[in-house]
Amino acid sequence: MTCNSPGPSRRPRLLILTPDFPPAPGGIQQVVHRLAAGMDAFRTLVVALDDRDAAAFDDSSGLAVRRVRAGGRRGRPIAPRAARMAALNAAGAGEALRFRPQLTLSAHVVTSPAATLSRRLLGARTCQYFYAEEIGARGRLAAFAAREADLSIAISAYTAELIAGTGATPRRLQLIPPGVDIPVDATPRRADRPTILTIARLEERYKGHDVMLQALPLVLAKVPDAHWLVIGEGSLRPGLEELARAHGVSHAVSFLGAVSDGQRDEWLRRADLVAMPSRLPGGHLAGEGFGIAYLEAGAFGKPALGGSVGGAREAIVDGETGLLVDPSDPVEVAEATTRLLLDHELASKLGRAGAARARDLAWPAIALRVQAALLELLDSP
Amino acid sequence: MFARVCGIAGSTDDADGRAVRTMCAVLRHRGPDDEGIHTDPRGGVTIGARRLSIVDLAGGHQPLCNEDGSVWVAFNGEIYNHRKLREDLRRSGHRFSTGTDTEVLVHLYEEYGDALVHALEGMFAFAIWDQERQRLLLARDRFGEKPLFLHEHDGELAFASELTALAEARPALRELDAAAIDAFFVFAYVPGPGTIARRVRQLPPGHLLSWQRGTGRCKARRWWSPAQRGLERHESLEALTVQAKELFGESVRTRMVADVPVGVFLSGGVDSTLVAVTAARETSQRLQTFTVGYDIGSVSETMQARTVAERLDCDHHEVTLTQADVEQRAPAVLAALDQPLADPAVLPLHALSEFARPRVTVALGGEGSDELFGGYPRYRWLERSMRVTSGMPTSANRLLGLLMRQSERVPHGRRFAMRLGSSPLLERNLDWVTSGRRHRRGDLYGPRLAGVREEGLLADLAAKAGELNGSTSRWLMHLDQVHYLPDDVLMKTDRASMLCSLEIRTAFLHGGLAELAGSIDTSLHLAGGGKRLVHEMLRPDIVATHRGGRYRKTAFRVPAAEWLRGPLAPVLGRQLDRGVLFQEGYFDGRAVSALATEHASARHDHSDQLWPLLALGLWADRFCGLDDL
Repeated sequence: MTCNSPGPSRRPRLLILTPDFPPAPGGIQQVVHRLAAGMDAFRTLVVALDDRDAAAFDDSSGLAVRRVRAGGRRGRPIAPRAARMAALNAAGAGEALRFRPQLTLSAHVVTSPAATLSRRLLGARTCQYFYAEEIGARGRLAAFAAREADLSIAISAYTAELIAGTGATPRRLQLIPPGVDIPVDATPRRADRPTILTIARLEERYKGHDVMLQALPLVLAKVPDAHWLVIGEGSLRPGLEELARAHGVSHAVSFLGAVSDGQRDEWLRRADLVAMPSRLPGGHLAGEGFGIAYLEAGAFGKPALGGSVGGAREAIVDGETGLLVDPSDPVEVAEATTRLLLDHELASKLGRAGAARARDLAWPAIALRVQAALLELLDSP
Repeated sequence: MFARVCGIAGSTDDADGRAVRTMCAVLRHRGPDDEGIHTDPRGGVTIGARRLSIVDLAGGHQPLCNEDGSVWVAFNGEIYNHRKLREDLRRSGHRFSTGTDTEVLVHLYEEYGDALVHALEGMFAFAIWDQERQRLLLARDRFGEKPLFLHEHDGELAFASELTALAEARPALRELDAAAIDAFFVFAYVPGPGTIARRVRQLPPGHLLSWQRGTGRCKARRWWSPAQRGLERHESLEALTVQAKELFGESVRTRMVADVPVGVFLSGGVDSTLVAVTAARETSQRLQTFTVGYDIGSVSETMQARTVAERLDCDHHEVTLTQADVEQRAPAVLAALDQPLADPAVLPLHALSEFARPRVTVALGGEGSDELFGGYPRYRWLERSMRVTSGMPTSANRLLGLLMRQSERVPHGRRFAMRLGSSPLLERNLDWVTSGRRHRRGDLYGPRLAGVREEGLLADLAAKAGELNGSTSRWLMHLDQVHYLPDDVLMKTDRASMLCSLEIRTAFLHGGLAELAGSIDTSLHLAGGGKRLVHEMLRPDIVATHRGGRYRKTAFRVPAAEWLRGPLAPVLGRQLDRGVLFQEGYFDGRAVSALATEHASARHDHSDQLWPLLALGLWADRFCGLDDL
């Protein structure tokens, strides 16, 4: 909180509704947390789904968080997702009645019904946050959310295209990219071997782990001691381990699972590049809305490698902060990876530009942009 | 533009190229229009290729080399992603002098060395001679679509696309392997990497082999293998279908790239229908489809194929394989195969290829779908049976075994007992797919096969199957992908089509699609009667073509039992009288004769035993130089 902020009672009340919130891992969880933490001009209440270790996290976060239990003991989700979302919306509406927010931020389209209710019953202004995947997966709900919200925030121009693709015209639309945490210590460290790093939950195929595995033998042909480190856990892991075996590259891959932020940062310091050749999954599925992992690479002065589709085209400036490749072509992925492993001058140049870009998109600044948009919404007639 | 080379051969001990020329002459039917030989000036190594020329005769001549002549390649197959690879390689500074996919191999090798195979999407077997390193590299595609036979002797290596080519250059290789004959009788094909000839082996699918001058050492290693482990994944069916459809569309699209007419072999089943539906979308011309029927038996499926073709407005052709035709075709085709094969479907496939060849040069087929996407009901039944028996106490299991043995007395009881009894899963699966032929060895084998032990065959099978780790059905699917698919299905496809100089491209055998299929929980594959994902891919198109919105399982099925009672009865009779199998004591002529008499009476169906004997006999007579029977 800044010194010249109004006192708690005089600040407008902001209700944030979200299914995704730490300690659950993931990019969206991080975005919502940083937004909530950065809303100094508001008195903020977050309504989120319960999770394992949530209580400890909430106690230490300094944020007012109301957890919605929609599962079994210790926050393990056992109810079907639809039931959990219904419970979250019901709790969100209940909290709105108690909290009386002037503004409701729905951080995912699944909470748009509760946000809409707060608008209709209490006259609260509403803001809807859009990423990408949820628009493809829940097109009708996304259209409803875009139509009903007073303000829609898209994390990229690609996301805005997806919103337009639902047929809905938002009342007001702003593009604000997600931010990135700037590390206190980004000093590069030497790894034992040339290291490629991927940070993503192993739940969506479009992230391109499979293509990385197809590309890896070609990378190893030129960089025999290269090592691919995979941070993230999920149901895809056994299949990817099997695929690594199928391609005969198990010796060059380490699946680290979910790691602490400190460990992740340590690997970011050691890696030569961050690679995530996300592709468009096709059909109704949307793929990468932006790709915070690419910004994280920049924050640590590392070049990023991404697919030249979707939001990655906005997260990576091709040839400046990283390289964009055809994500369905293992040969192109391998070529770019090899180039970044062998051409240290190029990798350093891209890393430096990435660091500068990360500073421009650092969290306090991005959260302030969102806050300014919300305040403007409150002041608008 | 594809090189369309159809047969390769080579030797590290052939300074004058004579042996390779001899081998290439045998491979003439695979590539009738052009032949090329390259001999290393430093002596010894010669590689050669036979080519079927459609276009670019001058540019497609093989063997082909890089700019400075230090790397030479002889290639059999198709690289479907060669255009994209060419772009990638050009960006890296490589210069191309022809438009063929063969040349891509040379430059890829320069760029990536042995790892080049990982960049390839296609069916292939090739030899690369690295003149500077004095090193020969042989490679075979992921699934074994293209064959490659090897003979190692005293630190030297010879190879060819067909076994008979090797045997022609080295007559000493015409020595039959009793264990392979035993395996052939049991499986109805010769399982790799062995062959029917004792001193010849195959390069297994998804393998590389290098030979180094100086040491004379051969080193083989696997570069790709299909999924083996059971996975538990819960992904939305819609998301998986979208991805599978995208990969399948890419597969069909790239397989339709040709400078010659492309058609589809359409049985009317779900696999070939999906191929036809997708291909029809990809072409601006009227798609040509081909199907085969019979004038005997009750298994003609031409109606179903015709319905699909009409719906897609295809230029549809139907071939009828008559009994008279079978009488002529069977002895010629079964003997002309380079290894024996007792899959009767080779005859209709040959007839279809022969009919299609004047109209199209390339045909798309649906092979591999059953193995990748869980199409055989056996997977489901054996998994259920395993679930039941593994949960039962030992005493109950023993009782079940006893009951199953008793059930052999009732009609079909033996088959039931073999499939669902209490014997080990591997043996139950084996008996299911081979109709329990191994149990007839004692009755039918002659003195030459008396010493063959069953343990060796079962041990080889177990080694190929690998460890049962989780899902029974995944394990069985993996076994089929490394055993039945390359050595029966793909051998049949390659040889039947190549005998007619037609190329069959398999739309389901796409690397990415196979990896997707392998990463999906098998319960999804087996849901709804099997091949759930294939049905889902076809769903938007199926309703209009078929009542009920579902296909029954079907393929090019064959009235083998009727043929053995009709047109092929005299052929079998001649075999029993004079065939090398019976003359030289491999099989007991009297016992087989009794079996044939019983079969002819139509009271019993012994076609599962008689067909392998007929196919092996016809092949062996030719291989041993007695093909005038």
